Amino acid sequence: MQREMRHELRSRRSWLAILLYIASTVYITYLAFQHDLDPVTWNALFWILIIFISMFAASGSFAGREGEMLYIYTLVSPRKFIMARLLYNGIFMLLVSIAAYIGYSFFAGNPVGNIVLFMASMLLAVWGISSLLTMAFAISGKGGGGFTLMAVISFPLLVPLLITAQHVSSISMQAGGDNYVGSLAALFALDAIIAALCYLLFPYLWRD
Amino acid sequence: MKLLNASWWKVLCVIFLMYTVIAGFLVEVPHLPILHETIRNLYFHVCMWFSMMFIFTVSLVYSIKYLMKPEEDSDIIASEGVNTGIIFALLGLITGSLWAKYTWGAWWINDPKLNGAAITVLSYFAYVVLRSSIDDEQKKARISAVYNVFAYVMMLVFVMIYPRLSGVDSLHPGNGGNPGFNAYALDYHMRIVFYPAVIGWVLLSAWIASINIRLERIKRNNHN
Repeated sequence: MQREMRHELRSRRSWLAILLYIASTVYITYLAFQHDLDPVTWNALFWILIIFISMFAASGSFAGREGEMLYIYTLVSPRKFIMARLLYNGIFMLLVSIAAYIGYSFFAGNPVGNIVLFMASMLLAVWGISSLLTMAFAISGKGGGGFTLMAVISFPLLVPLLITAQHVSSISMQAGGDNYVGSLAALFALDAIIAALCYLLFPYLWRD
Repeated sequence: MKLLNASWWKVLCVIFLMYTVIAGFLVEVPHLPILHETIRNLYFHVCMWFSMMFIFTVSLVYSIKYLMKPEEDSDIIASEGVNTGIIFALLGLITGSLWAKYTWGAWWINDPKLNGAAITVLSYFAYVVLRSSIDDEQKKARISAVYNVFAYVMMLVFVMIYPRLSGVDSLHPGNGGNPGFNAYALDYHMRIVFYPAVIGWVLLSAWIASINIRLERIKRNNHN
């Protein structure tokens, strides 16, 4: 069942839209800073980019699926649906953020010293962000508030993820940093908490 | 209902709070460098957050209760709990800010614990926004209950777990290598005011919440 869901969701037309969005946001950010970016600013801007792109990607994933929802509701248990959805969105967001990273490095340089650590922080953080935004979008979808509501709901909840991710990636700017294990563990724990909450709470949202 | 209407704990609340305010300013306190008399803020600022935690926990319990068995009363208690808790959180921020002005010299600093507290308040504001954006009663109750669970867990992360992480530097007492209020409150003089203060403020938060709950119950009864 899970695999079926994933394959079904894979055929999307919006790949081009997302890539275009990444390209334009990266380029605009680059244009806004005429001189070379120091690592701290680079880091901050990178995570802001990731937020915007995630919001866009998350909103795209739920749009235009109203008719299908009833059909899916009768077929699949909500728990499986949300796991499949989280999995798919997580992988999708990861690819998107790697693309963003490549694009950003292309324009603004790549001051990352410890690539492995950076990638680890990106992997964990992006997974958490995508799960949270998926859940937030599900909530706001039921609420009928649209994009504003989703932004309002998701922003405060995103902040611990972002702060921790920024902390780890700023450590990764120096080649081989120290004192990062605690924050990485914190990121992982946050992801686990978010995923568990989504898993537990989604069926209640689903009943409609 | 009987417990909510009973007056014995409200009288107790008034007694404790009056004692706190009077003794809080008259009883002598240990003199520590930089802090001097501002340590008295312990009786107010810390108690605000304790009350907020208490009320939000009650709200969480009733949110979960609502998800398990959808009864309108659970939803009333959950939502009014959040409303009351937000007031205490804001008071906590204000009292903390006043303290900071005298101790650190600034109303607000860029500090993990402070930011965490502010974000917590924001996330509960988002709860209120969420509730107001849905019209159908049952949908509103169910979805806000789901969000309440999320917000509560995130609050625990922000206010308790995050400032205690090894890499995080915080100026707030009790985090980042500063002596926590346990070190202060061990002093006998502070303890005799602090413990009744906690009880008094928590009772006050329960009282305010109970009034809000009863008001909301009446409002909804009139509606139906």
